[in-house]
Amino acid sequence: MLGPNGAGKTTLLKLLAGLLYPTQGEILFDGVPLTRTATELRAAIGFLAPSDHLYEDLTVAENLDFFTALYGKSPPKAAIHHALQSVGLERWSNEYISALSSGMKCRLSIAKWQLLEPSLMLLDEPYGVLDGSGVDLLEGFLKAQAQKGHIIVIASHHISRVLQLCSRALILHQGKLFFDEPRQQPWESFYRAFGEFMPHNES
Amino acid sequence: MKLLRHTALLLWKDVRLEMRRRESLLTMFFFGTLLLFVFHFSFDLAPDRMVETTPALLWLAFLFTGTLGLAQLFEAERGNHCLDALLLSPMDRGALFLAKTGFNVVLMTLVEIVVIPLFWILFNLRSWDLIPLLFLIVFLGTVGFCVLGTILSAVTLKARARELLLPLVLFPLMIPVILATIRLMENVLRFGVIGDAAPWLRLLIGFDVIFITVGVLIFDRVIDV
Repeated sequence: MLGPNGAGKTTLLKLLAGLLYPTQGEILFDGVPLTRTATELRAAIGFLAPSDHLYEDLTVAENLDFFTALYGKSPPKAAIHHALQSVGLERWSNEYISALSSGMKCRLSIAKWQLLEPSLMLLDEPYGVLDGSGVDLLEGFLKAQAQKGHIIVIASHHISRVLQLCSRALILHQGKLFFDEPRQQPWESFYRAFGEFMPHNES
Repeated sequence: MKLLRHTALLLWKDVRLEMRRRESLLTMFFFGTLLLFVFHFSFDLAPDRMVETTPALLWLAFLFTGTLGLAQLFEAERGNHCLDALLLSPMDRGALFLAKTGFNVVLMTLVEIVVIPLFWILFNLRSWDLIPLLFLIVFLGTVGFCVLGTILSAVTLKARARELLLPLVLFPLMIPVILATIRLMENVLRFGVIGDAAPWLRLLIGFDVIFITVGVLIFDRVIDV
């Protein structure tokens, strides 16, 4: 999902996550409307906001314990350790979140969603805080999720990165959807639309 | 069952965070104690006026102290957008209301356990045997205060001057609880029993039950405001 600043990408992600509710129309997930009372449905939706959604005064392991319990999952210690190991944070499991850098928080968020396994994963500008190995790790996680048949929606300005991953592109402009097509080779229509709505961005 | 499980999980998280930060409890405790000393040095009460004045003073101390606690209630959730993380989860939002109310009740009760005996000593009240009954009345009042306070704290969560707005909205709506608690305490101090103040007790219990139910039912909308 692409678009200039203020296009409505984050708003749309929040609507899809159930953090906002539409004033008109409805959002259906597998045919079920996403309403305030659809608590079970929310278990299937993940939202990765880099360096957010973690309690500063809980440790890395306690955050994972807390959020997995909130989702009704209680993975064994070994699973938590494995998830932390996979994102390179196993040595930090007893550190408070306030001691972590933004990139490490993002890695922890990846570990959290690895454990929760949502069937719809929403990501809001995930590349900004990650270093090279962090980006590889994120993309490895996304590819693994996609292989399981899970849906992934990424809002990003890193066009070259997301174009390598995506199977479909959407371009938003001023709150409206201007482009929505599955990936093609070559993809002339995308580059035309992209040049029209985001002329100053990388292409 | 799921509601209670989530409530317990959220409550334990808040208790754990408070044990590490010790911000709310210490602030409330020192403020409550400070108010008692201010009252003690400001009022030179004659023994015959003690019964009608002391319940109001005590409850005033709890109101101000409790408001401090309410102002901090969602502080942990404000950082790092943790409230969004909770709202994303499959948790019943009524659990968040019950946990936050429960947490504030725990904090206020801990403060009251220290403040009430101190109040007795400072104001030279001799009827120590009445303290358990007074604790019960204060507890019911505290529950009413925390229930309504949690709802309004959530309503004002995104308001710009929420610390100012919260007491302005909360205190007028607290009048039934304040009146009932003061009348009940007055009766207990005067006669040693609740006696003819029983309707106030029913009002207090009714207030608590109604607002707990309303809170659980409407909190998903309140927290989205």
